[in-house]
Amino acid sequence: MRTLSSLMGRRVQTESGDSLGRVYDLRCALTERTLTVKGLVVGTRGELEHLGLVSRTRTPIPWSDVVRIERTRIVVRDREP
Amino acid sequence: MSEIDIALKVLDHQIVDCDGRRCGKVDDLAIEGGAGETARVTAILAGPGYWPERAGWIGRLARAIGGGRRVRVPWEDVAGIEAHVLLRRTARDLGLGRGDDRARPWVEWIPGAHRK
Amino acid sequence: MSKIFGVALGILAAIGGFVDIGDLVFNVAAGATFGYQLLWVLPIGVLGIIVYSEMCGRVAAVSKKAVFDAVRERVGFSAGLSTLIASEVVNLMTLAAEVGGIAISLQLLCGLPYRWLIALGVLGLGLVIWVTSFEWIERIFGYGGLCLLVFAVGAVKLSPAWGKAAHGFIPHVSQNNSLLYLYFVVGLLGAAMTPYEVYFYSSGGVEEEWTPKDLGLNRANAIIGYALGGSLSVALMVTGAALFLNKGISPEHLGTIALGAQVPLGEVGLLFALVGILFAVGGAAIDTTFAGAYNLAQFCGWEWGRYRSAAKAPRFVLSWMALLLLALVIVMTGVDAVVLTEYAVLFSVVALPLTYVPILLVANDVAYMGDHRNGKLANVLGVAYLVVIAAVALSAIPLMILTNVGQN
Repeated sequence: MRTLSSLMGRRVQTESGDSLGRVYDLRCALTERTLTVKGLVVGTRGELEHLGLVSRTRTPIPWSDVVRIERTRIVVRDREP
Repeated sequence: MSEIDIALKVLDHQIVDCDGRRCGKVDDLAIEGGAGETARVTAILAGPGYWPERAGWIGRLARAIGGGRRVRVPWEDVAGIEAHVLLRRTARDLGLGRGDDRARPWVEWIPGAHRK
Repeated sequence: MSKIFGVALGILAAIGGFVDIGDLVFNVAAGATFGYQLLWVLPIGVLGIIVYSEMCGRVAAVSKKAVFDAVRERVGFSAGLSTLIASEVVNLMTLAAEVGGIAISLQLLCGLPYRWLIALGVLGLGLVIWVTSFEWIERIFGYGGLCLLVFAVGAVKLSPAWGKAAHGFIPHVSQNNSLLYLYFVVGLLGAAMTPYEVYFYSSGGVEEEWTPKDLGLNRANAIIGYALGGSLSVALMVTGAALFLNKGISPEHLGTIALGAQVPLGEVGLLFALVGILFAVGGAAIDTTFAGAYNLAQFCGWEWGRYRSAAKAPRFVLSWMALLLLALVIVMTGVDAVVLTEYAVLFSVVALPLTYVPILLVANDVAYMGDHRNGKLANVLGVAYLVVIAAVALSAIPLMILTNVGQN
C-alpha cells in the first residue's frame, strides 16, 4: 500500500530517461463504490493547473503506461512520437 | 462514473459524516495496486498520526501536540464527493471525531453547554 | 421594508465594528505626527479590506468554505500549517492588544486597578460569548461602537483646516522624516486590513449558509459598512491633527486619544469616547477570539461554529477559551497595550499575504467558483492589492527596525 502524499511531487521519467515533470495529481474514476486511478497529472503545466491558474485540460499520463514506481521516481513507457 | 483529480477534490478536504457532523480532514489516501495493475484508492487516512508524512518536522511537532491518532476509513464508507467528503456512516462508527468526544466532558458540565 | 431596516442595522453594526485598537492608535498618532498628510492612505486601506472581504465572502457563499478550509485545500497541509501558526500568533497578539485596550478604557471609566480590570474584561468577554446570541453581540457592540461618532462630531467642532485636510487625500510622500512617514503608511494599511475581520466574516458566511443569491446583499453591506467605518478613521486622524500636531503630544495612551473628544465636547464627549472605545475594542476582541478558534478548527477539520452548541463543538469552544486565557496572561505581564498594538498591527501585515494569496487563487478557480469566479474588475483589484500587500508586508519589519517602532 502506498499513500497519495508519497506519490505527489515525484519525478516522472520515460524509460529512455526523458523527464516529463513531477506528479501534481492523480486523475481517477469515481463510481458509486470505487475510486480507480486512471492517470498521472504531470509537469509544470500540471502545477499551474493545480494552483488553478490555468484550466485543467491537459491529458494525464495513463496509469497503464506506468512501468515501475521507484523510490525517487516513476518510470513510464516512452511516448509515441 | 465521473472523473476527479483527487489531490484537488479529495485530499485535505473536510470529512462530514451521515449526520452532517464535521469529523476531520482527509490527511492522506491509501492506494493499492502498482505498476501494471489496477490502482485503487482503498481508504481515507485521517488523524494527526499522518501529519509527519505531509509536513516533515513541523508535522512531527503538530502530531505531538495533536496526539498520534490514525484512523483508516475504507473507501466503501464514502457516500460521495461534493464540497466536502460525505460518509455513509456516523463518525462514531468509523472512529472519527474522537478528539471532540474526549474534549466534550471538559465543556458539557457548564450550564448552557447544550443550548443552541 | 423590514429587509431595508435589517440592512441598515447591519451597516450600523459594521460602522461601529470597523474601528479597533489598531485604528485608534495609528490614526490618531498619524494625525499627531504628520497632520493631514496621511489621509490618502485611508481610502486605500478601506478599499483593500472591501476587496479582501468580498472575495472571502464570495468563496464562502459559492464553495461553502471558510478561509482556512480554502487555505489548506489550496496550498496543502505543509504550507497551510505554517500559515495557520503565523496567523494564530498574530491573532493572539491582536487579541492581547485589544484586551489591554478594554482594561484601559474600563480603568478610565471607573478607576479600578488595571490588573483587576484585565481579569474582569476577559471574564466579561467569555461570559458574553458564552451567553449571548450572535445577533445580540453584533448589535450591542456595533451600536455601542457608534459612540465613537463623537470623534466625528468633535473633529468638525475643532474647525480643522479643511483645505489642508482635503489636500491630504492626494497621495504623496513627506519630504522630511520619510521613514517614519512610510512606517505610518504601513501601520495605517495594516490597521484597516485586519485579517481577523476577514476570517470572521468568511466563517460567518459559511455558518449562515450563504448562497450565491446572498452575494449582492452582503457585498453591499460590507462595502457600505467598511466605507462608513473608514470615515470614523478619518475623523480620528483629523482629531489627532487638529489637537496634537506640533504640540509635542504623542497619543501613547488611550486616555490621550479620548482627550480628542473631551477638548471639543467636554465631559460628555469624553464619556462617549470612552464608551465607544470600550465597545468597539470589545467587539473587535470577540471577533478576534472567534477568528482564532475558527482558523484552528477549520484547518484541523473539527466541528465548529457559533450556532453549534458547546457540547457539539467542544474543541472549538476550548480553543476560544484558551485564546482568552493566553491573552489574559500576556496582558498581565504588564506589556504596554499601545506598544503591543503597534507590534500586532505590523506583524499582521507581514502575515497578510499568507492568507490573501490562497484566497485570491481560490476565488479565481473555476472548479471551486464556477461562474462566480473573479471577473476582470475583481482581478484587477485583487492583483493590485496583492502588490500593495506584498510591498507592505516586505517593508514592515525593516521600517519597524529603522524607526524604532515609530519612536524615531
